[in-house]
Amino acid sequence: MQPLLSVECLSKNYGHGDIFHDVSFTVDAGETIGLFGMSGSGKSTLGKCLIGLERVSSGHVLFEGVDLFTLSERKLRKLRPAMQMLFQHPEMSMDPRMRLCDSVTEPLAYHERRKRSDVFLDLLPLIAAVGLRSDLFSCYPNQLSGGEIQRAMMVKIYSLSPKLIIADEPTSMLDMSVQAQIFGLMKNLQKKNNTACVFISHDPYVMLAMCDCIGILDGVRFRMMSAEEFAEYVAILSV
Amino acid sequence: MDILEVSELNVAFPTRYGLVRASQNVNFSVKEGEICVLVGETGSGKTVIGQAILHLLPQNAKISGSILYAGEEILSISDQKFSRLRGHEISLVPQNPTDSLDPLMRCGQQIAEVLDICGTSREDQLSRTTSILSDLSFSDPELVAASYPHMLSGGMRQRLTTGIALAASPRLLIADEPTKGFDYTARKRTVDMFLDLERMGIDSILMITHDLVFAEMIADTAGVLYSGELVEFGPAADVFSSPLHPYTKGLVAALPKNGMTPMPGMSPGLARLPNGCYFHNRCATPCEENSVHPVMRKVCGRFVRCNRC
Repeated sequence: MQPLLSVECLSKNYGHGDIFHDVSFTVDAGETIGLFGMSGSGKSTLGKCLIGLERVSSGHVLFEGVDLFTLSERKLRKLRPAMQMLFQHPEMSMDPRMRLCDSVTEPLAYHERRKRSDVFLDLLPLIAAVGLRSDLFSCYPNQLSGGEIQRAMMVKIYSLSPKLIIADEPTSMLDMSVQAQIFGLMKNLQKKNNTACVFISHDPYVMLAMCDCIGILDGVRFRMMSAEEFAEYVAILSV
Repeated sequence: MDILEVSELNVAFPTRYGLVRASQNVNFSVKEGEICVLVGETGSGKTVIGQAILHLLPQNAKISGSILYAGEEILSISDQKFSRLRGHEISLVPQNPTDSLDPLMRCGQQIAEVLDICGTSREDQLSRTTSILSDLSFSDPELVAASYPHMLSGGMRQRLTTGIALAASPRLLIADEPTKGFDYTARKRTVDMFLDLERMGIDSILMITHDLVFAEMIADTAGVLYSGELVEFGPAADVFSSPLHPYTKGLVAALPKNGMTPMPGMSPGLARLPNGCYFHNRCATPCEENSVHPVMRKVCGRFVRCNRC
Protein backbone atom coordinates (compact mmCIF):
# COMPACT_ATOMS: atom_id res chain seq x y z
CA MET A 1 0.00 0.00 0.00
CA GLN A 2 1.25 3.45 -0.78
CA PRO A 3 2.00 5.58 2.27
CA LEU A 4 -0.09 8.69 2.90
CA LEU A 5 2.91 10.96 3.00
CA SER A 6 6.35 10.16 1.80
CA VAL A 7 9.27 12.46 2.10
CA GLU A 8 12.27 11.86 -0.14
CA CYS A 9 15.71 13.39 0.34
CA LEU A 10 14.34 16.72 1.46
CA SER A 11 16.72 19.55 2.08
CA LYS A 12 16.29 23.23 2.78
CA ASN A 13 18.63 26.15 2.95
CA TYR A 14 18.15 29.88 3.18
CA GLY A 15 21.37 30.55 1.30
CA HIS A 16 23.78 30.17 4.19
CA GLY A 17 24.18 26.43 4.67
CA ASP A 18 21.61 23.70 5.07
CA ILE A 19 18.89 23.93 7.71
CA PHE A 20 18.44 20.19 7.19
CA HIS A 21 19.40 17.82 4.42
CA ASP A 22 18.61 14.35 3.18
CA VAL A 23 15.43 13.93 5.21
CA SER A 24 13.43 10.88 4.18
CA PHE A 25 10.55 9.13 5.90
CA THR A 26 7.03 7.91 5.29
CA VAL A 27 3.81 8.27 7.24
CA ASP A 28 0.91 5.84 6.94
CA ALA A 29 -2.70 6.55 7.78
CA GLY A 30 -3.31 6.45 11.53
CA GLU A 31 0.40 6.62 12.31
CA THR A 32 2.15 9.25 14.40
CA ILE A 33 5.66 10.31 13.50
CA GLY A 34 7.61 12.57 15.82
CA LEU A 35 10.14 15.20 14.80
CA PHE A 36 12.49 15.96 17.65
CA GLY A 37 15.09 18.69 17.94
CA MET A 38 16.19 21.67 20.00
CA SER A 39 15.10 25.23 19.23
CA GLY A 40 16.65 26.33 15.97
CA SER A 41 17.16 22.81 14.65
CA GLY A 42 14.74 23.38 11.77
CA LYS A 43 11.91 21.17 12.91
CA SER A 44 9.24 23.83 12.39
CA THR A 45 10.66 24.67 8.96
CA LEU A 46 10.51 20.99 8.06
CA GLY A 47 6.90 20.90 9.25
CA LYS A 48 6.03 23.84 7.01
CA CYS A 49 7.76 22.21 4.05
CA LEU A 50 5.68 19.05 4.50
CA ILE A 51 2.48 21.02 4.10
CA GLY A 52 3.70 23.27 1.31
CA LEU A 53 3.88 26.49 3.33
CA GLU A 54 7.58 26.68 2.67
CA ARG A 55 9.46 25.75 -0.52
CA VAL A 56 12.13 23.09 -0.25
CA SER A 57 15.56 23.46 -1.83
CA SER A 58 15.60 19.92 -3.12
CA GLY A 59 13.75 16.67 -2.66
CA HIS A 60 10.12 15.61 -2.91
CA VAL A 61 7.08 15.54 -0.68
CA LEU A 62 4.54 13.04 -1.98
CA PHE A 63 1.03 13.24 -0.57
CA GLU A 64 -0.90 10.14 -1.66
CA GLY A 65 1.67 9.72 -4.41
CA VAL A 66 1.39 13.28 -5.77
CA ASP A 67 4.38 15.60 -5.56
CA LEU A 68 3.20 18.75 -3.80
CA PHE A 69 5.76 21.00 -5.41
CA THR A 70 4.88 20.13 -9.00
CA LEU A 71 1.21 20.95 -8.50
CA SER A 72 -0.29 24.20 -9.64
CA GLU A 73 -1.66 26.52 -6.99
CA ARG A 74 -5.17 25.57 -8.09
CA LYS A 75 -4.67 21.84 -7.74
CA LEU A 76 -2.87 22.33 -4.46
CA ARG A 77 -5.88 24.22 -3.14
CA LYS A 78 -7.99 21.10 -3.67
CA LEU A 79 -5.55 19.05 -1.59
CA ARG A 80 -5.20 21.55 1.22
CA PRO A 81 -8.27 20.55 3.28
CA ALA A 82 -6.78 17.06 3.63
CA MET A 83 -3.68 18.34 5.38
CA GLN A 84 -3.87 20.68 8.31
CA MET A 85 -1.44 22.27 10.67
CA LEU A 86 -1.79 22.88 14.40
CA PHE A 87 0.44 25.75 15.45
CA GLN A 88 2.44 26.47 18.57
CA HIS A 89 0.77 29.72 19.61
CA PRO A 90 -2.96 29.15 19.78
CA GLU A 91 -3.62 32.87 20.38
CA MET A 92 -1.88 33.78 17.16
CA SER A 93 -3.61 31.24 14.96
CA MET A 94 -7.07 32.70 15.46
CA ASP A 95 -8.12 36.01 13.95
CA PRO A 96 -8.43 38.36 16.97
CA ARG A 97 -11.25 40.29 15.30
CA MET A 98 -13.43 37.27 14.60
CA ARG A 99 -15.70 35.55 17.04
CA LEU A 100 -14.74 31.92 17.65
CA CYS A 101 -17.92 30.67 15.94
CA ASP A 102 -16.92 32.53 12.75
CA SER A 103 -13.34 31.29 12.95
CA VAL A 104 -14.17 27.62 13.41
CA THR A 105 -16.82 27.56 10.69
CA GLU A 106 -14.68 29.41 8.16
CA PRO A 107 -12.88 26.38 6.64
CA LEU A 108 -16.04 24.42 5.86
CA ALA A 109 -17.92 27.53 4.82
CA TYR A 110 -15.08 28.29 2.40
CA HIS A 111 -14.32 24.84 1.03
CA GLU A 112 -17.91 23.64 0.76
CA ARG A 113 -19.58 27.02 0.25
CA ARG A 114 -22.10 26.52 3.01
CA LYS A 115 -23.75 28.92 5.42
CA ARG A 116 -21.80 29.39 8.64
CA SER A 117 -24.81 28.83 10.87
CA ASP A 118 -25.46 25.44 9.25
CA VAL A 119 -21.82 24.50 9.57
CA PHE A 120 -21.85 25.43 13.25
CA LEU A 121 -24.78 23.10 13.93
CA ASP A 122 -22.88 20.28 12.25
CA LEU A 123 -19.85 21.01 14.40
CA LEU A 124 -21.68 20.71 17.73
CA PRO A 125 -20.78 17.02 18.29
CA LEU A 126 -17.11 17.82 17.64
CA ILE A 127 -17.30 20.79 20.01
CA ALA A 128 -18.68 18.50 22.70
CA ALA A 129 -15.94 15.96 21.95
CA VAL A 130 -13.17 18.48 22.67
CA GLY A 131 -14.88 19.46 25.92
CA LEU A 132 -15.96 23.03 25.17
CA ARG A 133 -19.33 24.62 25.87
CA SER A 134 -20.97 25.89 22.69
CA ASP A 135 -21.79 29.27 24.30
CA LEU A 136 -18.05 29.99 24.50
CA PHE A 137 -18.04 30.35 20.74
CA SER A 138 -19.65 33.77 20.84
CA CYS A 139 -16.43 35.04 22.48
CA TYR A 140 -13.39 36.61 20.88
CA PRO A 141 -10.04 34.78 21.24
CA ASN A 142 -8.67 37.25 23.81
CA GLN A 143 -11.50 36.35 26.18
CA LEU A 144 -10.44 32.72 26.39
CA SER A 145 -7.53 30.79 27.84
CA GLY A 146 -4.82 29.21 25.68
CA GLY A 147 -6.16 25.73 26.35
CA GLU A 148 -9.64 26.73 25.24
CA ILE A 149 -8.38 28.33 22.04
CA GLN A 150 -6.25 25.30 21.22
CA ARG A 151 -9.34 23.10 21.64
CA ALA A 152 -11.32 25.44 19.38
CA MET A 153 -8.43 25.18 16.92
CA MET A 154 -8.82 21.42 16.96
CA VAL A 155 -12.52 21.81 16.14
CA LYS A 156 -11.53 24.05 13.23
CA ILE A 157 -8.96 21.58 11.95
CA TYR A 158 -10.92 18.37 12.44
CA SER A 159 -14.03 19.91 10.85
CA LEU A 160 -12.37 19.25 7.50
CA SER A 161 -11.70 15.57 8.36
CA PRO A 162 -8.05 15.89 7.36
CA LYS A 163 -5.95 12.88 6.46
CA LEU A 164 -2.77 14.41 7.79
CA ILE A 165 -2.16 16.75 10.69
CA ILE A 166 1.12 18.51 11.33
CA ALA A 167 1.19 19.50 14.98
CA ASP A 168 3.96 22.02 15.66
CA GLU A 169 4.46 22.02 19.45
CA PRO A 170 0.73 22.38 20.01
CA THR A 171 1.05 22.46 23.79
CA SER A 172 4.37 24.07 24.62
CA MET A 173 2.52 27.23 25.67
CA LEU A 174 -0.04 25.37 27.77
CA ASP A 175 -0.21 24.03 31.30
CA MET A 176 0.84 20.48 32.09
CA SER A 177 -2.64 19.24 32.94
CA VAL A 178 -4.13 20.95 29.88
CA GLN A 179 -1.34 19.45 27.79
CA ALA A 180 -2.31 15.97 28.97
CA GLN A 181 -5.95 16.69 28.08
CA ILE A 182 -5.14 18.02 24.60
CA PHE A 183 -2.94 15.02 23.83
CA GLY A 184 -5.67 12.68 25.04
CA LEU A 185 -8.10 14.41 22.68
CA MET A 186 -5.69 14.28 19.77
CA LYS A 187 -5.20 10.56 20.27
CA ASN A 188 -8.96 9.93 20.44
CA LEU A 189 -9.78 11.98 17.35
CA GLN A 190 -6.87 10.40 15.53
CA LYS A 191 -8.08 6.90 16.30
CA LYS A 192 -11.63 7.74 15.29
CA ASN A 193 -10.69 9.27 11.94
CA ASN A 194 -7.56 7.23 11.23
CA THR A 195 -5.64 10.45 10.76
CA ALA A 196 -1.90 10.46 10.25
CA CYS A 197 0.02 12.88 12.40
CA VAL A 198 3.45 14.46 12.23
CA PHE A 199 4.22 15.64 15.71
CA ILE A 200 6.87 18.29 16.33
CA SER A 201 8.21 18.80 19.84
CA HIS A 202 11.30 19.45 21.92
CA ASP A 203 10.05 17.47 24.90
CA PRO A 204 11.44 13.92 24.74
CA TYR A 205 8.84 12.54 27.15
CA VAL A 206 5.98 13.91 25.10
CA MET A 207 7.55 12.23 22.06
CA LEU A 208 7.67 8.89 23.84
CA ALA A 209 4.06 9.17 24.93
CA MET A 210 2.67 10.20 21.54
CA CYS A 211 4.74 8.76 18.70
CA ASP A 212 5.24 5.43 16.99
CA CYS A 213 8.63 6.42 15.68
CA ILE A 214 10.72 9.54 15.94
CA GLY A 215 12.97 11.46 13.59
CA ILE A 216 15.81 13.41 15.10
CA LEU A 217 17.06 16.69 13.69
CA ASP A 218 20.30 17.68 15.32
CA GLY A 219 22.20 19.40 12.58
CA VAL A 220 24.37 16.43 11.63
CA ARG A 221 21.97 14.18 9.83
CA PHE A 222 18.41 13.07 10.03
CA ARG A 223 17.80 9.76 11.76
CA MET A 224 14.61 7.78 12.28
CA MET A 225 14.34 5.79 15.48
CA SER A 226 11.75 3.47 16.93
CA ALA A 227 10.25 4.50 20.28
CA GLU A 228 12.55 2.01 22.07
CA GLU A 229 15.70 3.35 20.40
CA PHE A 230 14.57 6.88 21.18
CA ALA A 231 14.12 6.04 24.87
CA GLU A 232 17.77 4.95 24.94
CA TYR A 233 18.83 8.09 23.06
CA VAL A 234 17.03 10.28 25.62
CA ALA A 235 18.66 8.42 28.49
CA ILE A 236 22.08 9.26 27.02
CA LEU A 237 21.11 12.90 26.33
CA SER A 238 20.12 13.77 29.85
CA VAL A 239 23.40 12.54 31.38
CA MET B 1 14.76 33.64 59.48
CA ASP B 2 11.92 34.45 57.14
CA ILE B 3 12.83 37.05 54.60
CA LEU B 4 9.31 37.17 53.24
CA GLU B 5 6.15 36.29 55.08
CA VAL B 6 2.83 36.48 53.31
CA SER B 7 -0.23 35.99 55.45
CA GLU B 8 -3.93 36.01 54.60
CA LEU B 9 -3.26 37.75 51.29
CA ASN B 10 -6.47 38.47 49.39
CA VAL B 11 -6.53 40.15 46.00
CA ALA B 12 -9.76 40.77 44.12
CA PHE B 13 -10.71 42.71 41.02
CA PRO B 14 -14.19 44.12 40.47
CA THR B 15 -15.28 43.32 36.91
CA ARG B 16 -18.58 43.36 35.11
CA TYR B 17 -18.82 39.60 35.67
CA GLY B 18 -18.62 40.12 39.42
CA LEU B 19 -15.74 40.14 41.86
CA VAL B 20 -12.81 38.11 40.54
CA ARG B 21 -10.98 36.71 43.55
CA ALA B 22 -7.53 36.19 42.11
CA SER B 23 -5.89 35.27 45.35
CA GLN B 24 -7.55 34.10 48.55
CA ASN B 25 -6.12 33.67 52.03
CA VAL B 26 -2.65 32.90 50.76
CA ASN B 27 -0.15 32.11 53.52
CA PHE B 28 3.45 31.23 52.91
CA SER B 29 6.94 32.29 53.82
CA VAL B 30 10.32 32.33 52.14
CA LYS B 31 13.25 31.64 54.42
CA GLU B 32 16.58 33.28 53.93
CA GLY B 33 18.80 31.29 51.56
CA GLU B 34 15.92 29.34 50.11
CA ILE B 35 14.32 28.91 46.72
CA CYS B 36 10.57 28.84 47.11
CA VAL B 37 8.50 27.89 44.09
CA LEU B 38 4.81 28.56 43.61
CA VAL B 39 3.37 26.22 40.99
CA GLY B 40 0.06 26.95 39.41
CA GLU B 41 -1.73 26.79 36.12
CA THR B 42 -2.97 29.69 34.04
CA GLY B 43 -5.49 31.68 36.05
CA SER B 44 -4.51 30.22 39.41
CA GLY B 45 -3.44 33.65 40.66
CA LYS B 46 0.29 33.04 40.85
CA THR B 47 1.42 36.17 39.01
CA VAL B 48 -0.93 38.31 41.13
CA ILE B 49 0.93 37.19 44.27
CA GLY B 50 4.25 38.33 42.84
CA GLN B 51 2.77 41.63 41.74
CA ALA B 52 1.14 42.21 45.12
CA ILE B 53 4.51 41.78 46.82
CA LEU B 54 6.05 44.32 44.45
CA HIS B 55 3.18 46.84 44.56
CA LEU B 56 2.66 46.36 40.84
CA LEU B 57 -1.05 45.54 40.86
CA PRO B 58 -3.38 47.82 38.92
CA GLN B 59 -5.24 50.58 40.77
CA ASN B 60 -8.58 48.79 40.87
CA ALA B 61 -7.26 45.77 42.79
CA LYS B 62 -8.73 45.26 46.24
CA ILE B 63 -5.95 43.97 48.49
CA SER B 64 -6.00 42.83 52.08
CA GLY B 65 -3.72 40.81 54.32
CA SER B 66 -0.14 41.33 55.30
CA ILE B 67 3.25 40.91 53.67
CA LEU B 68 6.32 41.15 55.88
CA TYR B 69 9.71 41.69 54.31
CA ALA B 70 12.53 41.08 56.79
CA GLY B 71 10.01 41.59 59.60
CA GLU B 72 8.66 44.84 58.17
CA GLU B 73 5.16 45.34 56.82
CA ILE B 74 5.35 46.28 53.14
CA LEU B 75 1.82 45.77 51.84
CA SER B 76 0.27 48.84 53.45
CA ILE B 77 3.18 51.26 52.98
CA SER B 78 2.89 53.98 50.33
CA ASP B 79 4.10 53.34 46.79
CA GLN B 80 6.60 56.12 47.28
CA LYS B 81 8.15 54.37 50.27
CA PHE B 82 8.04 51.07 48.47
CA SER B 83 9.91 52.39 45.46
CA ARG B 84 12.97 52.52 47.70
CA LEU B 85 12.72 48.76 48.15
CA ARG B 86 11.74 47.75 44.63
CA GLY B 87 14.83 46.83 42.65
CA HIS B 88 17.18 47.56 45.55
CA GLU B 89 15.92 44.99 48.02
CA ILE B 90 13.28 43.02 46.14
CA SER B 91 13.65 42.61 42.41
CA LEU B 92 11.57 41.08 39.65
CA VAL B 93 12.54 38.97 36.67
CA PRO B 94 9.48 39.61 34.53
CA GLN B 95 7.47 37.00 32.73
CA ASN B 96 8.18 37.71 29.10
CA PRO B 97 11.80 38.72 28.48
CA THR B 98 11.13 39.80 24.90
CA ASP B 99 8.38 42.24 25.86
CA SER B 100 10.20 43.44 28.94
CA LEU B 101 13.31 44.68 27.16
CA ASP B 102 13.52 47.97 25.33
CA PRO B 103 13.97 47.03 21.66
CA LEU B 104 15.69 50.33 20.85
CA MET B 105 18.30 50.21 23.59
CA ARG B 106 21.54 48.27 23.59
CA CYS B 107 21.56 45.43 26.13
CA GLY B 108 24.44 46.80 28.15
CA GLN B 109 22.70 50.17 28.48
CA GLN B 110 19.62 48.50 29.92
CA ILE B 111 21.69 47.15 32.80
CA ALA B 112 23.63 50.40 33.15
CA GLU B 113 20.35 52.31 33.47
CA VAL B 114 19.67 50.52 36.76
CA LEU B 115 23.21 51.21 37.96
CA ASP B 116 22.77 54.85 37.02
CA ILE B 117 19.69 55.15 39.23
CA CYS B 118 21.64 53.48 42.05
CA GLY B 119 24.25 56.20 41.74
CA THR B 120 27.11 54.17 40.32
CA SER B 121 29.63 56.37 38.53
CA ARG B 122 29.92 56.24 34.73
CA GLU B 123 33.31 54.52 34.73
CA ASP B 124 32.18 51.82 37.12
CA GLN B 125 28.95 51.21 35.22
CA LEU B 126 30.77 49.70 32.26
CA SER B 127 32.92 47.31 34.26
CA ARG B 128 30.00 46.33 36.50
CA THR B 129 27.80 45.61 33.45
CA THR B 130 30.49 43.42 31.97
CA SER B 131 30.98 41.55 35.22
CA ILE B 132 27.22 40.97 35.66
CA LEU B 133 27.00 39.62 32.11
CA SER B 134 29.97 37.33 32.52
CA ASP B 135 28.57 36.11 35.85
CA LEU B 136 25.47 35.07 33.93
CA SER B 137 27.77 32.93 31.75
CA PHE B 138 27.68 35.01 28.60
CA SER B 139 30.84 33.98 26.80
CA ASP B 140 31.39 37.40 25.20
CA PRO B 141 29.93 40.05 27.56
CA GLU B 142 31.21 43.03 25.55
CA LEU B 143 29.52 41.80 22.40
CA VAL B 144 26.24 41.15 24.20
CA ALA B 145 26.36 44.57 25.86
CA ALA B 146 26.72 46.18 22.44
CA SER B 147 23.91 44.24 20.77
CA TYR B 148 20.18 44.91 20.70
CA PRO B 149 17.65 42.51 22.28
CA HIS B 150 16.41 41.17 18.92
CA MET B 151 19.91 39.88 18.20
CA LEU B 152 19.80 37.52 21.18
CA SER B 153 18.04 34.18 21.53
CA GLY B 154 15.18 33.64 23.96
CA GLY B 155 17.44 32.05 26.55
CA MET B 156 19.96 34.88 26.30
CA ARG B 157 17.21 37.49 26.73
CA GLN B 158 16.06 35.60 29.80
CA ARG B 159 19.53 35.85 31.26
CA LEU B 160 19.69 39.52 30.33
CA THR B 161 16.45 40.36 32.20
CA THR B 162 17.85 38.42 35.14
CA GLY B 163 20.98 40.56 34.86
CA ILE B 164 18.89 43.75 34.99
CA ALA B 165 17.09 42.44 38.07
CA LEU B 166 20.43 41.65 39.72
CA ALA B 167 22.13 44.95 38.92
CA ALA B 168 21.20 46.66 42.19
CA SER B 169 22.16 43.54 44.23
CA PRO B 170 18.75 42.84 45.76
CA ARG B 171 18.26 40.40 48.63
CA LEU B 172 15.12 38.77 47.31
CA LEU B 173 14.48 37.90 43.69
CA ILE B 174 11.02 37.20 42.35
CA ALA B 175 11.11 35.31 39.06
CA ASP B 176 7.87 35.00 37.12
CA GLU B 177 7.72 32.10 34.65
CA PRO B 178 11.41 32.02 33.77
CA THR B 179 11.12 28.96 31.50
CA LYS B 180 8.00 29.63 29.47
CA GLY B 181 8.40 28.11 26.01
CA PHE B 182 11.96 26.87 26.58
CA ASP B 183 13.25 23.56 25.30
CA TYR B 184 14.73 21.28 27.86
CA THR B 185 18.40 22.16 27.36
CA ALA B 186 17.52 25.86 27.79
CA ARG B 187 15.52 24.90 30.87
CA LYS B 188 18.49 23.05 32.30
CA ARG B 189 20.69 26.08 31.72
CA THR B 190 18.14 28.28 33.50
CA VAL B 191 18.20 25.91 36.47
CA ASP B 192 22.00 26.11 36.60
CA MET B 193 21.84 29.89 36.40
CA PHE B 194 19.40 30.24 39.29
CA LEU B 195 21.30 27.77 41.45
CA ASP B 196 24.43 29.74 40.68
CA LEU B 197 22.93 33.05 41.83
CA GLU B 198 23.86 32.13 45.38
CA ARG B 199 27.45 32.81 44.41
CA MET B 200 26.46 36.30 43.29
CA GLY B 201 24.94 37.24 46.61
CA ILE B 202 21.29 36.46 45.91
CA ASP B 203 20.17 33.89 48.37
CA SER B 204 16.39 34.03 48.48
CA ILE B 205 14.32 33.46 45.40
CA LEU B 206 10.56 33.31 45.01
CA MET B 207 9.86 31.55 41.75
CA ILE B 208 6.48 31.54 40.08
CA THR B 209 6.01 28.93 37.39
CA HIS B 210 3.63 26.51 35.74
CA ASP B 211 6.47 24.19 34.82
CA LEU B 212 6.38 21.33 37.28
CA VAL B 213 9.56 19.70 35.98
CA PHE B 214 11.48 22.94 36.41
CA ALA B 215 10.03 23.43 39.91
CA GLU B 216 11.07 19.94 40.88
CA MET B 217 14.65 20.59 39.74
CA ILE B 218 15.13 23.82 41.63
CA ALA B 219 12.82 24.19 44.62
CA ASP B 220 13.59 23.92 48.33
CA THR B 221 10.00 24.55 49.30
CA ALA B 222 7.03 24.42 47.00
CA GLY B 223 3.47 25.65 47.04
CA VAL B 224 0.72 24.53 44.69
CA LEU B 225 -1.98 27.03 43.73
CA TYR B 226 -5.45 26.21 42.51
CA SER B 227 -8.10 28.82 41.74
CA GLY B 228 -6.39 31.51 43.78
CA GLU B 229 -5.73 29.35 46.82
CA LEU B 230 -2.72 27.48 48.06
CA VAL B 231 -3.75 23.84 48.25
CA GLU B 232 -0.45 22.35 49.32
CA PHE B 233 2.72 23.88 50.75
CA GLY B 234 5.80 22.20 52.12
CA PRO B 235 9.30 20.88 51.39
CA ALA B 236 9.58 20.46 47.62
CA ALA B 237 10.92 16.91 47.70
CA ASP B 238 7.86 15.74 49.68
CA VAL B 239 5.33 17.71 47.66
CA PHE B 240 6.49 16.34 44.31
CA SER B 241 7.41 12.78 45.32
CA SER B 242 4.42 12.03 47.54
CA PRO B 243 1.71 14.62 46.87
CA LEU B 244 -1.17 14.68 49.35
CA HIS B 245 -3.73 16.97 47.73
CA PRO B 246 -5.67 15.31 44.88
CA TYR B 247 -4.89 18.27 42.59
CA THR B 248 -1.14 17.95 43.16
CA LYS B 249 -1.48 14.21 42.53
CA GLY B 250 -3.30 14.97 39.28
CA LEU B 251 -0.62 17.44 38.18
CA VAL B 252 2.19 14.99 38.84
CA ALA B 253 0.33 12.24 36.96
CA ALA B 254 -0.21 14.57 33.99
CA LEU B 255 3.54 14.95 33.43
CA PRO B 256 4.73 13.33 30.20
CA LYS B 257 7.33 11.25 32.05
CA ASN B 258 4.62 9.87 34.34
CA GLY B 259 2.40 8.73 31.50
CA MET B 260 0.35 11.92 30.92
CA THR B 261 -2.85 10.83 32.64
CA PRO B 262 -5.16 13.78 32.12
CA MET B 263 -7.30 15.27 34.90
CA PRO B 264 -10.93 15.69 33.89
CA GLY B 265 -12.53 19.10 33.59
CA MET B 266 -11.17 22.62 33.83
CA SER B 267 -10.52 24.95 36.74
CA PRO B 268 -13.55 27.06 37.67
CA GLY B 269 -13.67 30.71 36.65
CA LEU B 270 -12.45 32.99 39.44
CA ALA B 271 -15.66 35.03 39.29
CA ARG B 272 -17.92 32.03 39.80
CA LEU B 273 -16.30 29.97 42.52
CA PRO B 274 -18.39 27.28 44.20
CA ASN B 275 -19.05 27.40 47.95
CA GLY B 276 -17.36 24.21 49.05
CA CYS B 277 -14.08 22.77 47.82
CA TYR B 278 -13.08 24.34 44.48
CA PHE B 279 -11.59 21.09 43.25
CA HIS B 280 -14.62 18.95 44.13
CA ASN B 281 -15.97 18.32 40.60
CA ARG B 282 -12.55 17.28 39.26
CA CYS B 283 -11.43 15.30 42.27
CA ALA B 284 -10.60 11.61 41.85
CA THR B 285 -11.64 10.91 45.44
CA PRO B 286 -14.37 13.49 46.14
CA CYS B 287 -16.06 13.91 49.50
CA GLU B 288 -19.76 13.03 49.54
CA GLU B 289 -20.70 16.38 51.01
CA ASN B 290 -19.32 19.53 49.46
CA SER B 291 -20.63 22.24 51.71
CA VAL B 292 -17.63 23.00 53.90
CA HIS B 293 -14.76 24.88 52.33
CA PRO B 294 -11.55 23.10 53.33
CA VAL B 295 -8.99 24.99 55.39
CA MET B 296 -5.20 24.61 55.37
CA ARG B 297 -4.20 21.95 57.86
CA LYS B 298 -0.83 20.64 58.85
CA VAL B 299 -0.34 17.04 57.68
CA CYS B 300 3.03 15.23 57.82
CA GLY B 301 5.10 18.40 58.03
CA ARG B 302 3.31 20.34 55.31
CA PHE B 303 0.11 22.24 54.80
CA VAL B 304 -2.73 20.75 52.79
CA ARG B 305 -6.15 22.16 51.98
CA CYS B 306 -8.28 19.02 51.79
CA ASN B 307 -11.03 17.67 54.03
CA ARG B 308 -9.93 14.11 53.25
CA CYS B 309 -6.28 14.39 54.26
